[in-house]
Amino acid sequence: MTSVAASAPPLDQSLVRRIRSVVGAEGLFIDPDQLLVYESDALTQYRHPPSAVVLPRTTEEVSLVLALLHAEGRAFVPRGAGTGLSGGALAVGGSVLVGTARMNRILELDSENRRARVQPGVVNSDLTRAALLQGLIYAPDPSSQSACTMGGNVAENSGGPHCLKYGVTNRYVTGLTVVLPDGEVVELGGLEREPEGLDLVGAFVGSEGCFGIAAEIELTLIPESEGVRTLLGIFDSMEQAGRAVTDIMARGLLPAALEIIDSETIRAVEASIFAAGYPTDAGAALVVEVDGVDAALDAEVAIARACCLSAGAREVRIATNAEERLALWRGRKKAFGAMGRLAPDLLVQDATVPRTRLPEVLRQVGEIGRRHGILVANVFHAGDGNLHPNLLFDRRDPDQVKKVEAASKEIMEVCIRAGGTITGEHGVGFDKRAHMPLVCSHEVLRAMARLKEAFDPLGRSNPGKVLPDGYGPRSGAGARGAEVGRGT
Amino acid sequence: MTERVTGGRVTGGRETGGEGKLGLVLAAQHDRLSNCVHCGFCLPACPTYVRLYDEADSPRGRLYLMGAVAEGRLDPASDAFQLHLDRCLGCRACETVCPSGVEYGFLLERAREVARDARPSSFLSRALLVAIQSPVPFAIWMGTSRLLRWSRIPSLLVRILPSSGMLGTARFGMAMLGASLPWRPPAMRVEAGRAVRDDMAASPATTPPPGPGERGRVAILTGCIQDQLFRRVNRATERVLRANGWEVVSVSGQGCCGALHAHGGALTDAREMARRNVRAFQATGVDWIVANAAGCGATMREYGHLLEEGAEPSAREHAPSEDASGPNGRADDERDRAAGRWFSGRVRDITEILAGEGRSPRRGAPLPIRVAYDPPCHLLHGQRVRTPPLELLGSIPKVTVVPVPNGDECCGGAGIYGITHPDLGGRVGGDKVSAVLGTHADVLVTGNPGCAMQIGAGLRMKGSGMQIAHPVEILDESYRRAGFYAG
Ligand SMILES: Cc1cc2nc3c(=O)[nH]c(=O)nc-3n(C[C@H](O)[C@H](O)[C@H](O)COP(=O)(O)OP(=O)(O)OC[C@H]3O[C@@H](n4cnc5c(N)ncnc54)[C@H](O)[C@@H]3O)c2cc1C
Ligand code: SF4
Ligand code: SF4
Repeated sequence: MTSVAASAPPLDQSLVRRIRSVVGAEGLFIDPDQLLVYESDALTQYRHPPSAVVLPRTTEEVSLVLALLHAEGRAFVPRGAGTGLSGGALAVGGSVLVGTARMNRILELDSENRRARVQPGVVNSDLTRAALLQGLIYAPDPSSQSACTMGGNVAENSGGPHCLKYGVTNRYVTGLTVVLPDGEVVELGGLEREPEGLDLVGAFVGSEGCFGIAAEIELTLIPESEGVRTLLGIFDSMEQAGRAVTDIMARGLLPAALEIIDSETIRAVEASIFAAGYPTDAGAALVVEVDGVDAALDAEVAIARACCLSAGAREVRIATNAEERLALWRGRKKAFGAMGRLAPDLLVQDATVPRTRLPEVLRQVGEIGRRHGILVANVFHAGDGNLHPNLLFDRRDPDQVKKVEAASKEIMEVCIRAGGTITGEHGVGFDKRAHMPLVCSHEVLRAMARLKEAFDPLGRSNPGKVLPDGYGPRSGAGARGAEVGRGT
Repeated sequence: MTERVTGGRVTGGRETGGEGKLGLVLAAQHDRLSNCVHCGFCLPACPTYVRLYDEADSPRGRLYLMGAVAEGRLDPASDAFQLHLDRCLGCRACETVCPSGVEYGFLLERAREVARDARPSSFLSRALLVAIQSPVPFAIWMGTSRLLRWSRIPSLLVRILPSSGMLGTARFGMAMLGASLPWRPPAMRVEAGRAVRDDMAASPATTPPPGPGERGRVAILTGCIQDQLFRRVNRATERVLRANGWEVVSVSGQGCCGALHAHGGALTDAREMARRNVRAFQATGVDWIVANAAGCGATMREYGHLLEEGAEPSAREHAPSEDASGPNGRADDERDRAAGRWFSGRVRDITEILAGEGRSPRRGAPLPIRVAYDPPCHLLHGQRVRTPPLELLGSIPKVTVVPVPNGDECCGGAGIYGITHPDLGGRVGGDKVSAVLGTHADVLVTGNPGCAMQIGAGLRMKGSGMQIAHPVEILDESYRRAGFYAG
């Protein structure tokens, strides 16, 4: 198990003074008690309190702060809303957290060119809310969209239920203002600039905070679709639901969303205060959503319905208004919260397998859970084979913690054997870096390390993430708060 | 002392509650605390987070600090625990958005109990709680306030006092007092008789009276401040209930609901007040207990939990008077617990009794006014009552209801928050006042005395003449014009 060898010392007085002169007294926190709340993101298995939290407001402030940290040899970690599920925003080794919460202005919303320029702390759904006034939306919609930030989305290349049709974050980012780890500000891409050969924007999206801080983000918006139809199929078994998904795709439909909820999850939701009215003896439920030009939608719904029925659905419900639509979605949207009430702790796995292998992989996941005596409940984006097994446990019981770790690793291995990968959308972060060699060869990991070195030669931006030990900029650079070693 | 995990994987760990009995109170809430999955969905809903952007001032952060105290990693007397819990408005907007159903308000009260045991709270907040509980000083304070508010002194002071410092606080207090004055309905014009008749003709006739007491029997919590500064609201509540066919039973021996005590963490006092009310109301055997102050209603719905816990050994430690051999013996405890459950299940907001779920109040005379409705947090988030007040207002002929933009956010009143936290409270309150002014309504309607005075004070300090009223006062005026109370 990877852990921290040494924790960085507190910031010295003169550095505190200099940082405060940039961000003001309320822009820097150093009280260790207060800093406790920053020791985890939404993956609470790990706790790494930062040595300080800085909250700049502008690109210029970010640049000045990073330059100050650079001069002192301090490592830093960017943080958005801390909704990440892979420990990406953990301040490993007592790094300094640079939060973007105060950088929450929409700088430009150009409806004619369907373009927005935002600061990284803008919350995903706030951007869509603002764009909707002009009939536009920002398409990628992570389930956490009401809280997660655009900077976090860019760093994790986030997806969401509707990304089956619309694609994930990287399809929408057209330009970035990046502050490099030494404080230098660079412009990558951008509509006004000439295409510059290598796609550096593409390289930055998904870099999980390891290449510096995205201080401004230029994005493409799309028109809101004219109509939406939602349908819920109830099946006796997961196989039937899987067959329905395959049929729907084979008939040439491209639904905006195809989400499956397994029997354990249905029971969890129905037993909770979020009961959505799904039958508790069902083997699986499938939510299908189609959107587009109104006139075409009824025909699409009819096809989706026929596919469900011929796959053996015992019941198909079709929403006719917004309220019913929400009701059909409720079981999916509230699943995470409902499970949070079933057990004190919850580990959300995130893996992707080829769509057709889903039923088989799920069967194996179920077996792994049973073998370890751990309840595993699955929700997933069935359209692109992105699976989220939720492992329920109580961290106060060390035995359960061990079982969850073992089960989690086995689940990953099953997915890899089925031709899949270890993350769908939550990123590698701190949690999965040790498993990277399972999916990437030595050569590939080395290439990643060299790319990181180009952006961050001294290894000071989000140390201890993504790349496994032994890869990455030589730690001979001696960044304080960046030494990550092996231990327990 | 505390032991901080400086990094690494969390396994097992000491989670049985440190810091002696203080940690125990929170450790007993392990299940409630662990419902929080740390997802962060509550951050954007929190008025303090979206102004300060410090996660320690977010719901998730505050819950995390409580957890750290429960685990024995954080000293409840620490600045961090004290400051960030104190800064919470207690608006419970975080509960509405939480996918895990975390009972934040409940946990906050326990955490505040721990915090004030570790370090005394501010003089102002202590003084207020004592004053409310002591009959004579309270009567004097309220009596003076009532006299003062009818004089011109408050509005004069609002004009001449500076807006910051101690005098600024006094100015705000005066503005609040001024805002507690009754609303003035639009006069029936000179050609009143005709105008009203025209209005009446344009809308369907009033509905006929239901038989007296036909709907059932209810009792009203008259409250403390409500009873002193807003007695007119209690009277209006009584009249509209009668006009809608409810028999209103008067309850002697009832008193303050204890909401401010509970919010401040003075749980032993709150429990005592709860017990008194539970006994007083139980004796009446009414169908519903009606609250017309959202803060009181929210607390009364929690009496079940409050008294349930009152007999637990951990809480007993804080309340030596509750010794099993004392006046409140085991049998008394059990009886109080059962009564508490009965009580909680019967509390309803006045707007829920009259409207919602397909019901609507009896139709009175038209009232051509434009009202802005601002939902009190303890109604919207604390009791999950969203539509009944809107349905009630919407049922009154000629009343135009406009929502306050971003109305789901707290007004910054939160008891005496505006006075104890002038800066932050002022920012939250200022945004609310601007939103309210933007509605260009004649009357701002809200169902909680604290909110009415907070927003009213803000309006007055901005020189606005917008009126303030409780939803039942609007309905009451419509009934009065319809002649329902004539006979
Ligand atoms: C209930 C729940 C549901 C979720 N559903 C989805 C989902 O459907 N799809 C999905 O993809 N994810 C989902 N997530 C995961 C998470 O919300 C996303 O990864 C999100 O993009 C993280 O955003 P954040 O602002 O919280 O970033 P944080 O968690 O604060 O940070 C995430 C990473 O981004 C880096 N970072 C943050 N800001 C910047 C910046 N400005 N520049 C450079 N690096 C930066 C951080 O260093 C860190 O490595 C879910 C999470 C939860 C709790
Ligand atoms: S929304 Fe609820 S579960 Fe999520 S962090 Fe906030 S309190 Fe915890
Ligand atoms: S009660 Fe209100 S102020 Fe307090 S944490 Fe919840 S949302 Fe924030």
